[in-house]
Amino acid sequence: MSDEMDEEMQDGRATIARLAEHVVPELIERLTKSELGELEVRENGWRVRLRKPLGEAVAPPAAAARAPHPVMAPGVHVASHSSAGAPRDTARGIVASPAVGYFAPRRGIEIGAAVSSGDLLGHVDVLGVRHEVVSPVNGALRAFEVESGQAVEYGQPIARVEAEA
Amino acid sequence: MFSKILIANRGEIALRIQRACAQLGIPSVVAYSEADRDSRAVQLADEAVCIGPAESRRSYLSASALLSAALVAGCDAIHPGYGFLSEDDTFAEMVRAHGLTFIGPPAEVLERFASKAGTRTLLGKHGLPTIPGSPMLRDDAHALAEAERIDYPVLIKPSAGGGGKGMRMVRSPRELQQAMTICRSEAMAAFHDDSLYLEKWLEDNRHVEVQVVVDRYGNGVHVGERDCSVQRRHQKLVEEARSPAMSDGQREALCEAAIKAVVEAGYENLGTLEFLLDREGKFYFIEINCRIQVEHPVTEMLSGMDLVCEQIRIAAGEPLGYTQQDVSLRGHAIEFRINAEDTAHDFRPQAGVVETYLPPGGPGVRMDSHLYSGYEVPPYYDSMLGKLIVWGSDRHEALARSRQALDEIVVDGIVTNLPLHRALVHHRTFLDGEFTTNLLDRVGSAAFLDAAAAA
Repeated sequence: MSDEMDEEMQDGRATIARLAEHVVPELIERLTKSELGELEVRENGWRVRLRKPLGEAVAPPAAAARAPHPVMAPGVHVASHSSAGAPRDTARGIVASPAVGYFAPRRGIEIGAAVSSGDLLGHVDVLGVRHEVVSPVNGALRAFEVESGQAVEYGQPIARVEAEA
Repeated sequence: MFSKILIANRGEIALRIQRACAQLGIPSVVAYSEADRDSRAVQLADEAVCIGPAESRRSYLSASALLSAALVAGCDAIHPGYGFLSEDDTFAEMVRAHGLTFIGPPAEVLERFASKAGTRTLLGKHGLPTIPGSPMLRDDAHALAEAERIDYPVLIKPSAGGGGKGMRMVRSPRELQQAMTICRSEAMAAFHDDSLYLEKWLEDNRHVEVQVVVDRYGNGVHVGERDCSVQRRHQKLVEEARSPAMSDGQREALCEAAIKAVVEAGYENLGTLEFLLDREGKFYFIEINCRIQVEHPVTEMLSGMDLVCEQIRIAAGEPLGYTQQDVSLRGHAIEFRINAEDTAHDFRPQAGVVETYLPPGGPGVRMDSHLYSGYEVPPYYDSMLGKLIVWGSDRHEALARSRQALDEIVVDGIVTNLPLHRALVHHRTFLDGEFTTNLLDRVGSAAFLDAAAAA
């Protein structure tokens, strides 16, 4: 039993040295460059977690205060969403939210603009990480169904794109 | 107290948490995946937020989706239920980092009790008997020496993972040497880690667990034990309290030891300590579950407590407000887990539409289920459809009411394990309270079904 503990202690010291000299500096660099709020690495029973200061990482877009009213009223979503299967309903050009969070349209984008399939229309901010909202078809942007800074749930219609004939 | 709680789970436990929130006058928000849009919890919700697609990894297991939903809906606490992220200390820490409360043990408590081996050492120091075992094995010679010391039969277990992989019971040095090679390669294949250790194998053991409730200030009570010896491949099927295999003195010793150890070790919130009970009535601690458990209603029926409300109160920082003397346990309760499983075909999980659902009734009968007639059971999640819990003033009365309730319940359109439950409540071994954890696997469920058919 004591042999084993000695071995564990030595392994532990070696791991700490490696963490301090290589792993942590590398992680700090990666976290700084990324838009992520948090990074975690697990290995052999060790775990290193780095987190940016709260305000920096998770502040929602400036315009988006907490939703003042319920995201969804009971019953409403069941009826309004019963046809919203996949997040992107290509056939009708409905662009659905890829995640639950706060929506922000791409800066400068205008209603009526011509868009191609895959073009960026905006973002849904999830804890500081931006999820892209893209056009499912070639066509024209007809409308945004939600306002900038509004809370959206997964699958919620965000925009309408009229497909080219 | 909290102003609004996000329910980060599905099925019957989402309903159970909704009920507790309503009881405490706290609005709740149901987080649901696309596959659960038509679920009972969503229908009954004050508010509901779709968090992702059917795939759990992107919905009920997605920490960021759940947390984002909580923030968007203005919640200040998250209840994780059981399974999914309920014992994930990283999630608990994330929840706290965003200024919300995780309803369960705090992250550092979850972390302290995360490793099974570490928890055994910790609670062993605080007086709980643990199962005799070895340290990590260096080589075959070390394994042979340790097995000799522990005494055969022994169980070879991998340090990482679970689910029976890399696990073998051996009765002799010869078997040990042969099995070590197999276990190493299985463990390596499954967990990328081939370290093994030994544990004493208990013949004909029973599974008994103790419910504990501990507040932030070190006040704790136990709420008695539950016997979960009716299992199939390590999955519990029937749970009851009190344990039919223990005397009052044994129960008292077990429950007192359990609550004393966890309070001393700094546990907080609801928890369950699992023990193996051997033929001689000796108990050995195996692991702690840091969450509300599926079988918690058994304890609620005996104690009159609402354990989910207790969980929420404690997470909000309220003191317990009562002592062990205030906890009194009355009568006997049995829970039957009703699963969408085909007992005739290796318990294959089933999905599909429940055409008719009629819950049973009568004194002492409680049905916790998310079923309704016309509900489509999605294929993505676990197969539990609900739990029938039956209380009686003694075990005899509880069994009689159970037989009646199991006859009354109707779940049509989907294959369930109800035939097995109906067989069990007529079977001598179960009636005599003589079930052991490996009995169903050893004898096979067909034997029980056949015996019932012949009767």
